Amino acid sequence: MQSRRYLTWFFGIAGAIVALAVAFNAIADAYIRHHRAGASVQLVSGFERVLKPAWLVSVKPSMVFIGSSRARIAFDPTLVNPEFHVASFNYGVSSASAYETRRYIQDAAAQPFVKTIFVALDAFTSGSAAQPFGGGFDELRLAVTPQGQPTPRRDLWLFTSRYLSGGALGMHALGVWLLARLGPGQLAADRPDIFTEYGRMTPAKFRHEMARRAERTMHLTDWQKGELRKSLDALCPSKAEVYFYFPPDNLAIIAHYRANDAQGFAAFKQTVRDDVIQHNAACSNKVHLFDFMIPSSITRDDAATRGHKSRYYLDPIHVRPPTGLLLLERMLLGHDTAIAKRMAG
Amino acid sequence: MIFSSYPYLIFLALTVVAFCVLENRLPGLKRTFLLLVSLVFYAWWRVDFLALLLGSTVVNFAVGAAITNRHIEGKATRGLLIAGLAFNLGLIAWFKYAGLLASSANDLLALGLPIPHLFLPLAISFFTFEQISYLVDAAGGRAPQYSFLDYALFVSFFPHLIAGPIIRHNDLIPQFGETRNRDKRSDDIAVGMTLFTIGLAKKTLIADNLAPFSDAVFAAAHHGTAVGMADAWMGTLFFAFQIYFDFSGYSDMALGSACLFGIRLPMNFNSPYKAASIIEFWRLWHISLSTFLRDYLYIPLGGNRHGQFRRYTNLFITMLLGGLWHGANWTFVIWGGLHGLYLIANHSFRALTRGFTLPQSLKPFAHAVSVFITFVAVVFAWTVFRAESFAGAARMISGLVGAGGDSRLLTFGPLAGGALVTLFALVWLAPNSMEITWLLKPALETRYRDAGLRETRWQWRPSTATAVVFGLLFVVSVMALSNLSPFIYFQF
Repeated sequence: MQSRRYLTWFFGIAGAIVALAVAFNAIADAYIRHHRAGASVQLVSGFERVLKPAWLVSVKPSMVFIGSSRARIAFDPTLVNPEFHVASFNYGVSSASAYETRRYIQDAAAQPFVKTIFVALDAFTSGSAAQPFGGGFDELRLAVTPQGQPTPRRDLWLFTSRYLSGGALGMHALGVWLLARLGPGQLAADRPDIFTEYGRMTPAKFRHEMARRAERTMHLTDWQKGELRKSLDALCPSKAEVYFYFPPDNLAIIAHYRANDAQGFAAFKQTVRDDVIQHNAACSNKVHLFDFMIPSSITRDDAATRGHKSRYYLDPIHVRPPTGLLLLERMLLGHDTAIAKRMAG
Repeated sequence: MIFSSYPYLIFLALTVVAFCVLENRLPGLKRTFLLLVSLVFYAWWRVDFLALLLGSTVVNFAVGAAITNRHIEGKATRGLLIAGLAFNLGLIAWFKYAGLLASSANDLLALGLPIPHLFLPLAISFFTFEQISYLVDAAGGRAPQYSFLDYALFVSFFPHLIAGPIIRHNDLIPQFGETRNRDKRSDDIAVGMTLFTIGLAKKTLIADNLAPFSDAVFAAAHHGTAVGMADAWMGTLFFAFQIYFDFSGYSDMALGSACLFGIRLPMNFNSPYKAASIIEFWRLWHISLSTFLRDYLYIPLGGNRHGQFRRYTNLFITMLLGGLWHGANWTFVIWGGLHGLYLIANHSFRALTRGFTLPQSLKPFAHAVSVFITFVAVVFAWTVFRAESFAGAARMISGLVGAGGDSRLLTFGPLAGGALVTLFALVWLAPNSMEITWLLKPALETRYRDAGLRETRWQWRPSTATAVVFGLLFVVSVMALSNLSPFIYFQF
């Protein structure tokens, strides 16, 4: 008798909490999607690996940004969409590895509604065969397997990710909390105190980040090169317009890459260039390659060293969303040719 | 289907409901149903390997039945037993060790042998060992004549199929025929769900969250990083806790799943990190494997019957092979050998100090020191177990003794410190899942007579309060499920 009562309570409690969690996630998801600034939640780091594959399916964007936090912070759909008359989606995740980048490229390329894909190339310099992905990443949420086959039972994974995971609860709670703090008519850009991705690099931040990243290099291992090639192979049959770009890290940090491993840095760019040229020669799908990691009006920004706040940067490697618009204008419209070098495509 | 996945939860729920209906209305079909769902469970990974599982089952059943018949007739069974053992060991040698043997022969003798790259059939180490024990028992007259249905269900019963506990025919098969009334069924499901929840929480809330940290350090060591002392200790400790919570969590889920069908599997863990000696450690860690090795390898080798030297040699061989059982990598053999040496040292120490008694007042202190030394020895051996190569293991050990580099892969801050304190408290001070749930006996008792369960004030009872606590824990654990964190022992 006691056990029967126990089971009634056990399953009752478990069922009630599951129902509450599903209801909260459904309501929060709807709130974020319908909020004027809701798309800006895509800039936020938290449990993005859990929810972004599900969001990609529900947003049905025509334009997708893939990469590490450099991409995650640089492109805010609430700025991009009205400017370019598209529905865009930020698929960037913090510390994205080369493998994750390849898999997100495969995922985006497999969606018929995606017409344009941007990939920040620094992500290919992260991860290893032993640690191919970060916490929260789940292969089964993506449209295709690593071999390009449709993922079995994907709907179940997307459902559980969206409604029954701790990651969804966390990301939804964070998103709702951020949006609820915006005033009437405000967008994320108006509140850098809430959406810190819109913050401007201060001298203190610059010094701190430069010290923290003093050992930073930028080079490709053999495993990472393999992932880059697999990404290009996955794009070969795709109809989407693809843009690869070296992100505009500040010249001060680029100097570190050069000082720490000049050969590796040069080889990184050369490898990507060679692979893209080879891809473009072999595939009808052409990849456009841009290098923003060069001296330019953006990367030369030294306001923080002169005691001012930066106009372009959140920190030496992350550009703010308004700067992201400049990158897009350069890649899509050919504006301000001085900020980038077209390398292929 | 791994236990910590949504498909398994759905599969388990549907199977239990259908089983309870059958139990009421068509009890004669219970075993057939369990066999069918077990085969579906196995086929979920690779349908083609179902043929291997079924083939192995049929051959072993036939050989075992023939051995039993000959035994009853008073005829020799040795030839059949050897043939049966050769079949099982050949199967496991081909699928699991052919690559290792060929590559090692090439390295040592430059033979240029082709290296087979075979996909390791899931659970082969487990179902092979279980069937070997059946054949050996049959030859010894300790196995009755079973029906094929019972035997096939013994081999493939899904809660123990993939990663144990390693169960013996005479422990499991008699349970298939038992009937239960409504109250017993409720008790079984209550204790089963509770144990399953504890296991799920161990896996998803603890083990899976430790994995990225230990993986980062061991991966760096494997790839040539000279690991610093703090990194080496944190990586190794996190792995020691990860493997304990992962594997004991898996075992709890296996035992809990079996309880839902009224079946008891053998206890597999009993707070091994509380062990005050290596001998005790092996009576508390992966108990079903250690009793198997004792009964089917150590004792047949001669055990302790032929003097000290033979005893230590037998111990060492048993542990070497026990290490090799874990996987086709020499690091596992070294790990087993290390534990063999530990056991020899432990037995020698006991022999030397026989008759010496500590004053009562010093006993708690001596016990605490013994637990600590045992833990350090076990943790040290885990570095070899976890490392992907000897070079990686050497870098980790250099780091542990302060002769490594100055890597800073992990940060030892308040979070890491707090996590370690909590983990030590859990493994050293908290009662284990068996002690908590023992009121309704969710497992078969350990075969080690002197390694029983300790009394605890935290014993679970079916009540509204405990239902709320475990119901909450269940949901929190489910929400932390990840599809990319298979159990460590699935690879064995």
